[in-house]
Amino acid sequence: MPTDIDGLPTNRAKIMVVDDDPDLRQALSLRLRANNFETVNVCDGYSAIAMAQKEKPHLIILDLGLPAGDGFSVLKNLQQYPALSVIPVIVLTARDPEGNEKRTLEGGAVAFFQKPADNEELLGVIRASLQAGWGWRRGLPS
Amino acid sequence: MRRLCERELPALVLLDLNLPDSHGAETFRRIRQKAPNVPVVILSGQDDEALAIKAVHMGVQDYLVKSDVTGKQLERALRYAVERQGLLLALEVTRKQQIEFKNRFLSHVSHELRTPLTCIHQYVTLLLNGLAGPMAPDQTDHLKIVLKGVNQLHAMIRDLLEAARADSGKLRIQPRCLDVGELIHQAVAMMRPSADAKRISLEAVVDHKIPLVYADPDRTLEVFINLIDNAIKFTENEGSIVVRSALVETDTTAAYLSVSDTGRGIASEAHPQVFDRLFQNPNRVDNNRSGLGLGLYIAKEIVTLQGGRIWLASAPGSGSTFSFTLPLYSLAKLLFPVVTHQGSMRKRIVLVRTELTPVSKALRGGWKDTCEKALEILRQCIYVDKDLVLPPLGTSGYGEAFFIVASTDMERVGILMDRIRAQVGALPELRASGTLRVTAEPIPGLPAADPRTLEQQVWGVADHVTEIIQQGLSSKQDFTEKENQANAN
Repeated sequence: MPTDIDGLPTNRAKIMVVDDDPDLRQALSLRLRANNFETVNVCDGYSAIAMAQKEKPHLIILDLGLPAGDGFSVLKNLQQYPALSVIPVIVLTARDPEGNEKRTLEGGAVAFFQKPADNEELLGVIRASLQAGWGWRRGLPS
Repeated sequence: MRRLCERELPALVLLDLNLPDSHGAETFRRIRQKAPNVPVVILSGQDDEALAIKAVHMGVQDYLVKSDVTGKQLERALRYAVERQGLLLALEVTRKQQIEFKNRFLSHVSHELRTPLTCIHQYVTLLLNGLAGPMAPDQTDHLKIVLKGVNQLHAMIRDLLEAARADSGKLRIQPRCLDVGELIHQAVAMMRPSADAKRISLEAVVDHKIPLVYADPDRTLEVFINLIDNAIKFTENEGSIVVRSALVETDTTAAYLSVSDTGRGIASEAHPQVFDRLFQNPNRVDNNRSGLGLGLYIAKEIVTLQGGRIWLASAPGSGSTFSFTLPLYSLAKLLFPVVTHQGSMRKRIVLVRTELTPVSKALRGGWKDTCEKALEILRQCIYVDKDLVLPPLGTSGYGEAFFIVASTDMERVGILMDRIRAQVGALPELRASGTLRVTAEPIPGLPAADPRTLEQQVWGVADHVTEIIQQGLSSKQDFTEKENQANAN
């Protein structure tokens, strides 16, 4: 279990889940909390930005098809705020990777998963992104 | 003919097949090229009527024999020709619209199906992992069956989309230089649990002498998995499956791959339909859900797109062998202009290896993109007339190694390496997420009085380069295996 990067134990990182399907949000949160993450749930694109500013999550899991601003516009809006642009975003969507994967990665996401995703693989990418993200932020001038 | 093609397109072409600057069927072909949608009526003499009929098969609307034609007939023939051509065009447009609609429909449906499927998948795995409290052994077993069904459904949705893509020519192939043995081992490892469940022995017999093939790793893996999955479905418990790679003496351009099983086999009457869409083998072993019947169709499309062919040898009661070919990558052909100069071999040839390793294995999507950029930069760093960047190598599972064949002295290679380090190191994504290593290895020079022909010498260099690269690839594989073991512990 990776721990203690920059004094922040990886296993208590806060993850924001953005998905318009309440059942999926709940399932994902349950799994994340069972893996010792804190979670914040959001159901649309507009709240995603507002909540990110308020909660400053360490990582965001983002659906693409969302009401009030789809996943692409959320990615774009996150880039507008220096404090939010450094948060690693993992896209988790039912949409086809073809066309969407490249577009989201160019939009700033660190990884693309198509639903249904393998749980262990997703958790692996979450942990790795958190480490990489914090490692990178350490290098930024404060 | 020439003047016709320069002018604005006419509503109809009344064509004599023999013009001063063009003859026979060639005349029609040229008109078709320049004006594909303009109806053509041929005026033929009695002696070339057979040719005119042939032209009708090629798409000419009608033909008139010069000696028989009257004014009224001519007018009617031309009028009908225009009408029929219009109908043909309308049909073609409708056909395209229908394909487009079908693809949009399938893409939409598969997206909509995925959402509830994801929901089932999530909650079943939550329960199975004990995250909602402990489960009784019976309950766990039942849920595992649900999960198996979910996975089958998932595979079907994927196949449906793939088949739709193949139909409309949108299946994308991104070939690389591959060690096909590595792919076979990967496919066998992935299918091992399904084979074990039926106590079927699943074995890989890999010919290590096979040079690199040129194919898309993900798609080719898909082909192997489709074939092995089929073999498992149609083989009784305790049977055996062998996945084989081999070279054939009579064909030096391809690697021969096959999946053989000891299953019930397929009657020869059914062989022609096996690779058709929705084919179902009536001889299946268990009355288990057998899938959509798209796997072999998709496999055939992938193999064909990569320049190979796929076929079946089978008889009822004696198992089936599905074979396909992949084109071998001809390094020698690629090397020829680089390692030769004015009819002789260049004196020094160096292989430069640029290795990118991500700091974490997980950032897979972004990583692929980063590698593309790195490759682009490498192409800019080389001396265009003396160096050659080889196509990407291996399955790109963990890290990425690019190879440059440089035909120059070590000093220039040193400059090249510095350039690569500076340029690739300037990529912000890489600085944050990967480490870079650039190494060079001189390829032993050939003796000045080499009795062999130039071509043989180039092949010698190519063999040597291949050897070094394959060593590099297999050490990378070892590294990945170690990594996996470390993760598992």
